[in-house]
Amino acid sequence: MKNGLAALLIASSLWGYGNGVIYWAPHISHGGEHSHSKHGGHGMGETTMLHAMNLEGNSTVTLIKPDLSKEDLNLTDTALTLPKASIGGYYALVLTHRTDNQVDSAIRYLSQQGRPSKISPTKLTALPKTDLEIVPDPLHREHDHYTASKSYHFVLRLHNHALANTTIFLETRDTPVQTVTTDTDGKFTVTLPNDFKNVQIGRSENKPSEFLLTTQYREGDTLYKTALTMPYSLNPNDYWQSQKYGAGAVFIGFLGGLFLYRRSKKTGVPRG
Amino acid sequence: MDKLLTVTALRRVIQLTAFVFFVYGAMIFTTFYTGDKLTQSLPALSCAYDMKGGDFCTLIPLQHQMDHRVSSIFTQGEKVLPALMGTLITLGTVAVLILILNKAFCGWLCPLGFFQDVFTMIGTKLGLTQLGSLSREAVNKIRPIKWFIFLFLVLILPLLTGIGFLGHEWGNPYCSICPSRIMTTAMGGDMSQVYISQANWGYFTLSLIADLMFGLMVALALFVRQPFCRICPMLPMQTLFKKIGLLRLVKNGDSHCDSCGNCVKACPMDIYEIQDQAENKNITHADCTLCGRCVEFCPHDGVMNFKYGPITILSSSKESFKKRTKIDKWWKE
Repeated sequence: MKNGLAALLIASSLWGYGNGVIYWAPHISHGGEHSHSKHGGHGMGETTMLHAMNLEGNSTVTLIKPDLSKEDLNLTDTALTLPKASIGGYYALVLTHRTDNQVDSAIRYLSQQGRPSKISPTKLTALPKTDLEIVPDPLHREHDHYTASKSYHFVLRLHNHALANTTIFLETRDTPVQTVTTDTDGKFTVTLPNDFKNVQIGRSENKPSEFLLTTQYREGDTLYKTALTMPYSLNPNDYWQSQKYGAGAVFIGFLGGLFLYRRSKKTGVPRG
Repeated sequence: MDKLLTVTALRRVIQLTAFVFFVYGAMIFTTFYTGDKLTQSLPALSCAYDMKGGDFCTLIPLQHQMDHRVSSIFTQGEKVLPALMGTLITLGTVAVLILILNKAFCGWLCPLGFFQDVFTMIGTKLGLTQLGSLSREAVNKIRPIKWFIFLFLVLILPLLTGIGFLGHEWGNPYCSICPSRIMTTAMGGDMSQVYISQANWGYFTLSLIADLMFGLMVALALFVRQPFCRICPMLPMQTLFKKIGLLRLVKNGDSHCDSCGNCVKACPMDIYEIQDQAENKNITHADCTLCGRCVEFCPHDGVMNFKYGPITILSSSKESFKKRTKIDKWWKE
């Protein structure tokens, strides 16, 4: 009951987007904060409690581990607490909701710490997880994170085959829906918006936001819908880091080197 | 064609291959995650900030371990062994790599070393007067800097940050000033690491040092050999394990060596000690990058040697000296 109320609160306020599509959202504490840690490194910044937004009725939740083994999980209302990770690396959290003529799916990738997996995350992304699936191409490295103002590539697959000429919707909390169309190989690129509010100086002072990629495709009588949600961080170069001044400093350093060259011509010994 | 068959030519080919792998490996070899999977402890400056790279250097995990794990001994009363386990694994990996190639990681594989070599070649071809060996006094003044950087920027400041004495910006201060961070990302088309931070004085200072030093390094490399390598904290890191390295520089001076000083002139790190008399002695100095130039430019048979374990893989000779000197003149024309 308590979790249900929390989900309702989240859906009606901070995370009220997605236009009815089922998607994963991180748990938000009563203080309005994500359950992310301040450190954004490998596994450390990942949330371990999530909510399946817009979910009504029964669904299946599968956790695919870095070694590609699978574990079925149960939701409490719409909330899910991830089990303690034993293997380090990327996990895929897959929710599938089937009705007579519709298949909804929601996917989220999470990096967790533990004994390193010997299997490449490319195997995890290549693995068919649902009928219709938006796949990061590639999924960023475990030490990286999605960042505003940067572009990222994805591929859309239906029954594990690339799906061309299909509209994808990109949404964030503070940016209206943008659309992009997949190319003939099912690939598409999105640039994450710089839409952070009340920015504090210092990366660790700003909580990550969420982006949502959704699409749908009708095949015969069946409508397939899918959503991929991931966290993204603000880009310091949009705020308190100046690339212009940086380039200027590099140039000054270079001039300093040339000055030393002029001096060395007077005192230096030619190389033997 | 025979002109090209030298140790330096072979080294250039290997350096270029290593550069491509360490800077672009993820793109070219479709091994996107090797950077996270290969060693994560490379004893060469291949940067973890380059998301296209094939592997990354050991200094970043060391700083993080000091900041987040080793510090927990003091802040949370963590037991020493669990808190040090990550560091021991990192150092163990470095030890294994050094056992295999010793300090040749610098001279043969480091992307930043190759980057500087390329600029020196450009400077030579542009006709810039190349600075000969630095004076012994200058070398002696420069040498302690790398130890200072290693001890303070790689170990002590991150540890103090983890304990809580310093702000977050000092958690990985070496990476914040490392020219390889700027070089490797820029070579992959990502200029986001060239910046001045206005977050606070600490970030500002570190970012300013990084940019100034990168520009200075590029300009210096046009007429000075290996300018940054002389203060690189990877040298002290490698020195901790160099005794176990199978590859080593051995001098068998005996009566043949007349201390002509050719080896010192050839040495890009200006290691004067290699001209001292030595008989069948491992002379792999803390500053040595095992580039092999001293072996190439030694005019005496069998005096300077590259040995791998008990096997001599390269030995100085009159013939190779003549050939190498001829090539050097041709190159500088």
